[in-house]
Amino acid sequence: MAATPAVAAEKSMSGARVRTPRMRMRQMLDRVLTYALLIFFSLFVLIPFAYMISTSLKTEDQLFIWPIRWIPDPIAWSNYPQAFIELSRIAPNLTFWRILANTLFITLLAMTAELIAVSLVAYGFARFQFPLRNTLFIILLSTMMLPGIVTLIPTFLIWRNLQLINTYDPLVTGIWLGGGAWAVFLLRQFLLTIPRDFEEAAYIDGANVLQVFVIIMLPLIKPALLALAVLIFQGNWNNFMGPLIYLNSVDKFPMVMALKFFQESLSKEAPKWHYMMAMSTVMAAPLLLLYFMAQRYFIEGLTIGGVKG
Amino acid sequence: MEAAIQSYWPTLVRWSLVGGALGAMMYLLNTGLQRIGVKRDIARGYAFVLPWIFGFLIFSLYPFFYSFYLSFTEYNIFQPPRWIGLDNYVRMFTSDRNFWPSLRLTMLYAFFNVPLGMIGALGVALLLNRNVRAIGFWRTLYYLPAVLPAAAVALLWRWMFSPSSGLINFFLQPFYALFNMQPLAWFTDPNLVLPAYVIMGMWGVFGANAVILLAGLKNIPRALYEAAQIDGAGTWAQFRFVTIPMLSPTLFYTLVTGIIGALQIFTQAFFITTPQRAGQFLNVLIYQEAFAFRHMGYASAMAWFLLAVILALTLLVIRSSALWVYYESEKG
Repeated sequence: MAATPAVAAEKSMSGARVRTPRMRMRQMLDRVLTYALLIFFSLFVLIPFAYMISTSLKTEDQLFIWPIRWIPDPIAWSNYPQAFIELSRIAPNLTFWRILANTLFITLLAMTAELIAVSLVAYGFARFQFPLRNTLFIILLSTMMLPGIVTLIPTFLIWRNLQLINTYDPLVTGIWLGGGAWAVFLLRQFLLTIPRDFEEAAYIDGANVLQVFVIIMLPLIKPALLALAVLIFQGNWNNFMGPLIYLNSVDKFPMVMALKFFQESLSKEAPKWHYMMAMSTVMAAPLLLLYFMAQRYFIEGLTIGGVKG
Repeated sequence: MEAAIQSYWPTLVRWSLVGGALGAMMYLLNTGLQRIGVKRDIARGYAFVLPWIFGFLIFSLYPFFYSFYLSFTEYNIFQPPRWIGLDNYVRMFTSDRNFWPSLRLTMLYAFFNVPLGMIGALGVALLLNRNVRAIGFWRTLYYLPAVLPAAAVALLWRWMFSPSSGLINFFLQPFYALFNMQPLAWFTDPNLVLPAYVIMGMWGVFGANAVILLAGLKNIPRALYEAAQIDGAGTWAQFRFVTIPMLSPTLFYTLVTGIIGALQIFTQAFFITTPQRAGQFLNVLIYQEAFAFRHMGYASAMAWFLLAVILALTLLVIRSSALWVYYESEKG
């Protein structure tokens, strides 16, 4: 095989040792360029992020200083409690702890319902032969294309007729039935990769279908469930349209609505950016923490749909 | 805290009851069907997908048709809907001064945001695919913006683009001085809203797409590149004839989800109001018609128009995919 330069270069990169000084030079340059570009792009990612945290720790007079003080002096840690104190001045019941409890209540209940419902439905589609199965599955996939805004008004009217506006029910109870189509799809794809041997063995041992599902299947699909759990947690923690439409009383607001409320009532004329950035950071903090702890699952959940679908 | 518990408690009860009732119905369906002689597999299958069937009927199918009906009515919630034929659609296309600018803004946003975001994401993914050291670190870093809540992202960029004191205009100060111009007003300037939104949108999405595309790149067998090299393909030819075709299903996926997502931008658009003359993003316009002005019928008509736009674009992309998306299983 005649070694063209390209082949030789590739070989040396993949381990075979045929190197001339010139090629080594080129490779060096290549590496340096790669990392330089990576750093350049990462600045685009990091600068706004750093600006958010830096702003959240500034006293008001430092907001407008140029050149920018990336590390504030003095550091105003008090912005964090103060932002929420300001908020509870106009909405006495909306303390930090209340907001946190509201957000967690919505997020955890919705997440639990969605995980249970979605894993049952995905199991049904992945494991059993029944008439119309494929048609139903195609319908499920096509609902992903349906914009939420189309179904929003009639859905709102349903909850209104049930007299459950300004309760958390539209945000958590409906989830039992409205499990996300993408989550079902993702989990079904994962289930299809798991051999049926374990289940069949369990059936032979006399287990019923519920036992097989809970004792055999759930542990096997744990990685996919965790991936879904973090994405669903994120989705509900950030959900804005739902609370905006269904919750009227300020006491019931989750974090995102508190942020909107702050922006509209306290920050309309003279924006209090240091407080708003502090609140934004507080809202982002649990997600960031979760992300650093369970990063693998974020990325798995994200890629399974796009690559294996 | 007393008051808080009072607002959680009833919901918690109803939530548990609905969950329990659903479980009971699944159980009854399974045993009931088997008792009347349906095959076990079939009974179990229907029982397991029951939650979705309920959900589909109640929260997708019924609202779908009902909002279609509402789009031909005038409905303010308090009086029953009144049939007005095509009036809503006529009004939307002819006399509503907010509609066309809003449609234009939303479409242009998708038109710029999606391809630019994909190119940026592809660039980063290609870089990360070059045997980079500490790849986990880079991936973590690039994905970071996608973790942040959309509301926080919106406020952050509103502050970044603040005309008098935001970071962007501080950076651009020498430039303004050089050309002797006023600082740009970004989100409050009708002509600059779009670029400002596109930049913000790219920041939020390109890391997530980069992670997806990187996973796609890692799935391409090395043997293909080796074969191409033996045939004398250079870097560009390898990219054009191996990477792009092999990555095309993943590109297709990010394109479709990107378009659908960009046309439905809501949270950011709600936190950063656009100047009247620039129009509003369609989802916000629809929300306001429905819930601020109680024009439920008119809002439904606009929602249906948005649905038509999304369907048309998606079908266009799917149609075009025959030309550029390569599925291994089809050809060989």
